[in-house]
Amino acid sequence: MSTDERNTTEGGSQAAAPASPKPYWIGIGLMAMGAVWLYNAFGLPQGARYAAVGPGLFVTIAGAGLLILGAILVLQIWRGESFEAQDAEDADGSNKMDKRAFLTALVAVALPIATMGPLGMPFTATLSFVLVANAFGSRRWWLDLICGAILACAAWFLFNQLGLQLGRFFPPLGV
Amino acid sequence: METFELLLHGFSVALQPTNLMWALVGSVLGTAIGILPGIGPALTIALLLPVTTALAPTSAFIMFAGILYGAMYGGSTTSILLNTPGEAGSMMTALEGNKMARAGRGAAALATAAIGSFVAGTIATLALTFAAPAVAELAFYFKPTDYFAITALAFCSVAVVMGTSRTRGFVSLFLGIAIGVIGIDTMTGQPRLTFGNMQLLRGIALTVVLVSLFAVGEILYVASRYRTTPGVMAPIKGQLWMTKQDFARSWKPWLRGTAIGFPMGALPGSGSEIPTMLSYTLERKLTKYPEEFGKGAIEGVAGPEAANNAAAAGILVPLLTLGLPTSATAAVLLAAFQNYGLQPGPFLFTSNPALIWGLIASLYVGNVMLLVLNLPLVGIWVQLLRIPRPQLYAGILVFAMIGVWGLAGSWVDLTIMLVVGLAGYVMRVYDFPIAPVLIGLILGPMAETQLRTALAAGQGNPLVLVSTPLSAIFITLAVLLLALPILLKRLRANA
Amino acid sequence: MNFTKTLAALAMTAALGTGAASAQVNVMLPAAPGGGWDGTGRQAFQALNDAGIYTGGVNFTNTGGAGGTVGLAEFLGTSTGQPDALAVFGAITVGAIALNNSPINLAEFRPVARLTAEYLVVAVAADSPYNTLADLVAAVKADPGAHPIGGGSAGGVDHIAVALLAQAGEIPVADLNYIPQTSGAETVTAIVNGTLTAGVSGTSEFAQFAEQGRIKLLAVTSAERRPNLPDVPTFHEAGYDVEIANWRGILAAPGAPDDNYATWVDNFTKLSQSDAWKAVLAAQGWEDYFLAGEEFGAFIAEETATQGQILKDAGLVN
Repeated sequence: MSTDERNTTEGGSQAAAPASPKPYWIGIGLMAMGAVWLYNAFGLPQGARYAAVGPGLFVTIAGAGLLILGAILVLQIWRGESFEAQDAEDADGSNKMDKRAFLTALVAVALPIATMGPLGMPFTATLSFVLVANAFGSRRWWLDLICGAILACAAWFLFNQLGLQLGRFFPPLGV
Repeated sequence: METFELLLHGFSVALQPTNLMWALVGSVLGTAIGILPGIGPALTIALLLPVTTALAPTSAFIMFAGILYGAMYGGSTTSILLNTPGEAGSMMTALEGNKMARAGRGAAALATAAIGSFVAGTIATLALTFAAPAVAELAFYFKPTDYFAITALAFCSVAVVMGTSRTRGFVSLFLGIAIGVIGIDTMTGQPRLTFGNMQLLRGIALTVVLVSLFAVGEILYVASRYRTTPGVMAPIKGQLWMTKQDFARSWKPWLRGTAIGFPMGALPGSGSEIPTMLSYTLERKLTKYPEEFGKGAIEGVAGPEAANNAAAAGILVPLLTLGLPTSATAAVLLAAFQNYGLQPGPFLFTSNPALIWGLIASLYVGNVMLLVLNLPLVGIWVQLLRIPRPQLYAGILVFAMIGVWGLAGSWVDLTIMLVVGLAGYVMRVYDFPIAPVLIGLILGPMAETQLRTALAAGQGNPLVLVSTPLSAIFITLAVLLLALPILLKRLRANA
Repeated sequence: MNFTKTLAALAMTAALGTGAASAQVNVMLPAAPGGGWDGTGRQAFQALNDAGIYTGGVNFTNTGGAGGTVGLAEFLGTSTGQPDALAVFGAITVGAIALNNSPINLAEFRPVARLTAEYLVVAVAADSPYNTLADLVAAVKADPGAHPIGGGSAGGVDHIAVALLAQAGEIPVADLNYIPQTSGAETVTAIVNGTLTAGVSGTSEFAQFAEQGRIKLLAVTSAERRPNLPDVPTFHEAGYDVEIANWRGILAAPGAPDDNYATWVDNFTKLSQSDAWKAVLAAQGWEDYFLAGEEFGAFIAEETATQGQILKDAGLVN
């Protein structure tokens, strides 16, 4: 699913256009995922002495299901099935996709993979807070920085007290 | 009589000061998140799952129950005043409620919603009290084949009912099932789809999937299509209380809404949306004032509001007695049970009566609290709608991050958060339903174990799967659910 | 500043939680609640607390399935290198690892203490036509496939006990229809609703259901009758030369610091001599089976070799 990101961006911008989008890549992606699951299923025992089915059965079902559904989806898209973005409480499905906001929020979500371990949770959460606030149009970044830092530090202390293992406060300093 | 004693015992648990406090915390939080757009009860409970490491199970579930009921109360406030449903179950309330508010009858609309929620919540909790033990005893007669049939029916109904097309419903469902097979196979210990990664041996945690799909997916989606013009709030004005006529027009819809909501909530896949829609349609048909519908008919608020609260109680029946979740919120509650290593089901009633009956008793207590919190204090709650959206969504991400990282301190989970969050974004853009993913993820492994046990006991004969009356009925229903729309289409085409 | 108000509200919620004892040791119980491991872990820490040996907070995690290998895999993933993380495990885990080719290696963990042994019982439904172990064996011999027997995970002690019983009764072990269940409670449900002809589990797990009249106990795997089950004959008495115990113990996380490890070995050694623990053993009908530290490690290595051999003899492992 590593290529989803770029494809999504393209699909998303089309979704806003009046013409119905043709997101073939979703169907193809599902088929690819189904293929991976099926491939794995072949390495597992399919049978058992009495049950007639083994650990491989459900993996096979999941894989085959995704493969078939992906194919159906491709067919439906080809026949002109329409895909309309959902309305959410603060989002308007018919709005045009704001790529900059989306990518900023995406960076905020991806950031923890790299920084959570080496730089600690409070630092990471503060940074992500500022990024998301920015994606939603907040321009007072210094205020967000303070808000985010207070929230992140308070959350770290309280959840640590609760017995959640969130790691060190700021690992580079060893605290 | 036994039920009554157990319930009394439950009250002695629920009325302990600490538990009362947790019920209050849950009710306040539930009302708050019900009012706030963007966060629902499922996500809130998921974000609060980490507290299960420090809280006693009884206290935690009493709080979660408060959130579940509170969200239903709070959701109506946003619907009525802002014309934006705070929860999916409050969609119908917005239709008439907002019209009433604009006509200066907002207070009456809020009152009928709150009192209707209270009446429905209390009646439905009573029904739960007396239905649950009976259903739990059934579990001793349910065989693996019955459980498999129930899960199969749940799969089909969830995939068919939720979402714009069956294909998309099933895509979501199968994504959940596919994620569910990752990890060690519980019956043989075989690693499956772990790609040699030790961390994947334990499977992908429900919390990670849930937080990613709901919180991360929502953040990415709303960021990309942000509605910059906020809704206009109708002021609360006019007389503060319902008139005699309002009462006369409300009480029947309350009862009808309860009668629709409770059983529908117990059915897989119907959630809280379908019963509220049914209730609205019914009230519109039965009303003596059809000309008022669409312009602010009080029946259109009273019925659906009662229905969504009753449905919230309804989802607890299959969850507590059989361990079957029928909605996203129920799925998260099940995850919370599993965090404590508790498997809801008949044994929980005998092994942990303090928890079960304390929880049920706390539902009565919570309902009273919520009525008090919502009727006079509604003006204060409305202030919550003034939290700026950028900081609100940023805060949600911080808590999502803590929930995922706190689970195991693993970057693998954070990567899953990114990938599944992106999937949640794509599903919103192309209108795939979210809840079937969770149902597949939770019920998939259950269906598998029950299927394999049933087949092993039946020595591989597939007929064993329809060998009991219950399994035969459920499997037939599941097949009908799949085939009927296609058949009807054919018939219509031929006619 | 309404936002700070929310912050304050959230902080308050979390702060309320700190009123509960803050957890200091994480304990993995790799079975569903109500089972033997669950009991061993919870009772041991209750006794540690009652005896004043360890009074800090304890955070239990139950993760059942596949003879504890699912729970131990999770434990390995979450706790490696953690100072105060312990896991309950036992004889069942040893067999399950061998049978399932699980990537878990028990030698990686730090052995803290072996605590108890429990003997196993064979049970059938209260209304079953079989009243003795010989009745049951005869029926299984006539048609093994039609008489499914359930118990703990595949290759675990329950499974091995069934395999040994089959060997003693001249039934080919490979013909047995053994269906693993995730907990003793589930085994009882399956016996009651007729899915299983018979079930095997620890005496403590089955005794309460026999008292409720849901199941009847046919035989116990100890050398002598158990004092708490005087009416249940041994396998020897029933004519089958089988004797097997299900031992349970405590592991520390791989890479746990030496200081913390030594403290826990010490804590459990003190526990084994405490009155609180003796009371628990008596109440639960568990045998004292104490062995600590590296000696316990040697015992685990030995068990790994012997159980592997039984599984091979029984044809369960190639």
